[in-house]
Amino acid sequence: MWWLAKRIGTSLLLMWVVATIVFLALHMVPGDPAEMLLSTGGAMPDAYAIAELREKLGLNRPILEQYGAFLAGLTRGDLGASLVDDYPVAEEIALRLPRTLELILAGTLIAVTIALPAGTFAAVRQGGAFDRAASATAAVLQAVPVFVLGTLLILVLAQWLRWMPAGGYTPFLENPGRHLLLLSLPAVAIAKGLAATIFRMTRASVLDALSRDHVRTARAKGLTPQRVLRRHVVRNALIPVTTVLGLQMGTLLGGTVLVEYVFNWPGLSTPLLRAVEARDYPMVVGIVLTVSGLFLLINLAMDLIYAALDPRITRG
Amino acid sequence: MRKLWLPGAAVALIVLVAVLAPVLPLMDPIRQDVANRLAAYVPGSPMGRDEFGRDVMSRLIWGARSSLAVAFASAAIAATLGTALGLLGGWFRGVAEFLAIRGADVVLCFPPVLLALLVVTLLGPGTGTLILVLSVLYLPGFIRVSFAEVLSARGQDYVEAVRALGARTPRILLRTVLPNIAGPVLVQVSLAVASAVVLESGLSFLGLGVVPPTPSWGLMIRGARATMEQAPMLLVWPCVALTITILAMNLLCDAVRDLADKRGGGGAPKLRLVDRLLPGLFPAPEGPRPLLDVQGLTVEIAVPGGIIRPVEDLGFRLDPGRTLAIVGESGSGKSMAATAIMGLLPPAARVAAGVARFEGEDLLRMPEPARRRLRGGAMAMVFQDPMSSLNPVHRIGDQVAEAIRAHRDVPAAKASAEAVALLRRVGIADPERRARAYPHELSGGMRQRVMIAMAIANKPRLLIADEPTTALDVTVQAAILELLAELRREEGMGVVLITHSLGVVAEVAEDVVVMYAAQVVERGPVERVFARPLHPYTRALLAAVPDGDVEPEGIPGVVPRPDSWPPGCRFAPRCAFATAACATPPALEELQDQAVRCVRWRELSA
Repeated sequence: MWWLAKRIGTSLLLMWVVATIVFLALHMVPGDPAEMLLSTGGAMPDAYAIAELREKLGLNRPILEQYGAFLAGLTRGDLGASLVDDYPVAEEIALRLPRTLELILAGTLIAVTIALPAGTFAAVRQGGAFDRAASATAAVLQAVPVFVLGTLLILVLAQWLRWMPAGGYTPFLENPGRHLLLLSLPAVAIAKGLAATIFRMTRASVLDALSRDHVRTARAKGLTPQRVLRRHVVRNALIPVTTVLGLQMGTLLGGTVLVEYVFNWPGLSTPLLRAVEARDYPMVVGIVLTVSGLFLLINLAMDLIYAALDPRITRG
Repeated sequence: MRKLWLPGAAVALIVLVAVLAPVLPLMDPIRQDVANRLAAYVPGSPMGRDEFGRDVMSRLIWGARSSLAVAFASAAIAATLGTALGLLGGWFRGVAEFLAIRGADVVLCFPPVLLALLVVTLLGPGTGTLILVLSVLYLPGFIRVSFAEVLSARGQDYVEAVRALGARTPRILLRTVLPNIAGPVLVQVSLAVASAVVLESGLSFLGLGVVPPTPSWGLMIRGARATMEQAPMLLVWPCVALTITILAMNLLCDAVRDLADKRGGGGAPKLRLVDRLLPGLFPAPEGPRPLLDVQGLTVEIAVPGGIIRPVEDLGFRLDPGRTLAIVGESGSGKSMAATAIMGLLPPAARVAAGVARFEGEDLLRMPEPARRRLRGGAMAMVFQDPMSSLNPVHRIGDQVAEAIRAHRDVPAAKASAEAVALLRRVGIADPERRARAYPHELSGGMRQRVMIAMAIANKPRLLIADEPTTALDVTVQAAILELLAELRREEGMGVVLITHSLGVVAEVAEDVVVMYAAQVVERGPVERVFARPLHPYTRALLAAVPDGDVEPEGIPGVVPRPDSWPPGCRFAPRCAFATAACATPPALEELQDQAVRCVRWRELSA
């Protein structure tokens, strides 16, 4: 329990550090941040607009006061308002976040279901036909950038074969079938990088576990090969895989931005990209904080799984 | 090396083309020609024209140039800064370490694309912003790698030596430490470049990276999406170029990493067909049927340089209820022989010849399922290192119960109860509570007791113990040997004890086999061999046993490696009695109840 409390404490501390960095980033910009945000393509922004933006961002107040207000807002779940239309950032995120989460969950599910068994099987039959084919596939998948895969999926499945819609979104309650159909392509695109990584990790990890002394002990007991694999190889091999899985989620979350854009999935990336283009700093900060928080949360969950798998962690 | 060659050449070609873009006979990549919009083919433009009538091939090549420039620039900046920070942090520790490592941790809290978008919002899109963002993103990798390497280098002898000579810190860091961490840093550079190409193209694809009209693969894909229907190839070309580039870079990364890990090694040559000894050629032994009868056991391992034989022509015989010890220094092949008999050889090794009859049946030719039913049942094994030999993630009671249920169809609850009884039997106090413990919660001696409980779970008739006390404290060793001897008396097991300690042999064994460099050099009853050793190696081993106040005479030198055995008697180079006659390989001479492999044994024991 103490261990758990410590681990949660660390996550909260990291969240605070992330928030502080994001806050400071605006002030670390060379020159006047308001001027920086308004300047596009070298043209001098006019003084009136700068003054107005400084007022909006609260840049005229002492920096500690700004920081205090920012943190206080965060604890209340108040992320400020968009510079473009004054719409509350938190509300925009509340609307979009579930859709992004759904996509991530679906992608992770696809990746894990395919890659874990495939990686284990490839390791057990190391050098066999399946191993070689799957390893080559994983290498190619790892090399195709996620937006390239998404675009090519649209080109082939939607444009040429006309099997699938090219993208879009229908609420689940309105039309469940169409919702899942629209979900499938972006989920597959998201799954690809994760699947390739999990496959490679699982394969390496199972190979490593197979050569361990305790596996020899298990065989010396006369256990059937299936049982040795299930209880003494896969269980142990999963431990390093969960660590990598947690770290990979950062890449996955970034990939989601691209995939949502490619498939017109109205998750967090739509307001994010719009805000980046319009230099709408509060909106960008809100979304970056949300996704970074999600990332920390996923890693916390991964650590819990890790601890459940490996008794040495919490007890040692 | 072959793995490095192909992707290396591919990456080199891509880089070369990108570098040479200005001097290649290409069209201007940004000159528009609206008349030839989306043309599939125009003379001089083999890949056609894009939505503004610009030459696609030229844009592809110039696109490579901008992608690679960004990638290499940011990797170089991150490598320089990160390595410097890691070096300082690892060398000075304290505040420098805190700043470098915690700083790296903070960057890792952000998903990369999101951190990039945050910076783009602040600074606006452009090549400069891209390089800045990517350098920051790859900084932690370099800091961590160089930090870890410096920490381990600090303690190395060569660094200590330079320090002792009075070299100044910057000099040590630059001249001694840096060259030695170059390998891992190089691996990190290749990873950073490959990943920077991916991120750059992704951001450009979103319209937030390279600014048009500069050609970039990400921007080309972005532009071609709109005209997917009319000109699909416009989309395919940059996709293919990007994927191939990243694939080549990833493969190169893997190859570089393998090389830096020095794990590469060439492929092992195919196993040579060796004449197999015919089984059953030997006359059946007289008297009671032996529990274990090993003859001519030879194990081979294919290594890059050829084939080595860690066990050669091993033979011994064990009767029920007796204890036979196999002795020898490390590297003599005794453990390999035991694992061969149990059928637990590592994949690279195989039995090339010999028989090992367990109660009359040859273990080496038995189908695997039948042998599996014997393993852990009628014959069991205890290993050297009880820590690594127990599975760290299961409770020890479960691991013992598992051994029971592997051979007997008993309900789980009964198996658990039996496991507790077994733990009590091997002398574990409070077995009910200990059964719920994990291996790391027990002491070394306790773990070895668990291993023994597991081995005797199904009342084996043969127990092979491979250096069961080597990994333990001296005080615990005696207790474990005592336990094994007691179990043997009570259960009537035959025991094969593998050890390098003659003291242990004298205490528990009745027969002894002395192995040296894969061969049996002497064999016989313990009292005979100890009283009258025939082989100089046995003598040397006996002389090396500490005895009262007399300082033991160690044997000079070490066991030769299996790939460099002397042509004649393998012990000759270390033997005090070696003569010219020892240049021919001696045979194992069978005496009445002893055997010896030495041409001079008669004159030496006279």
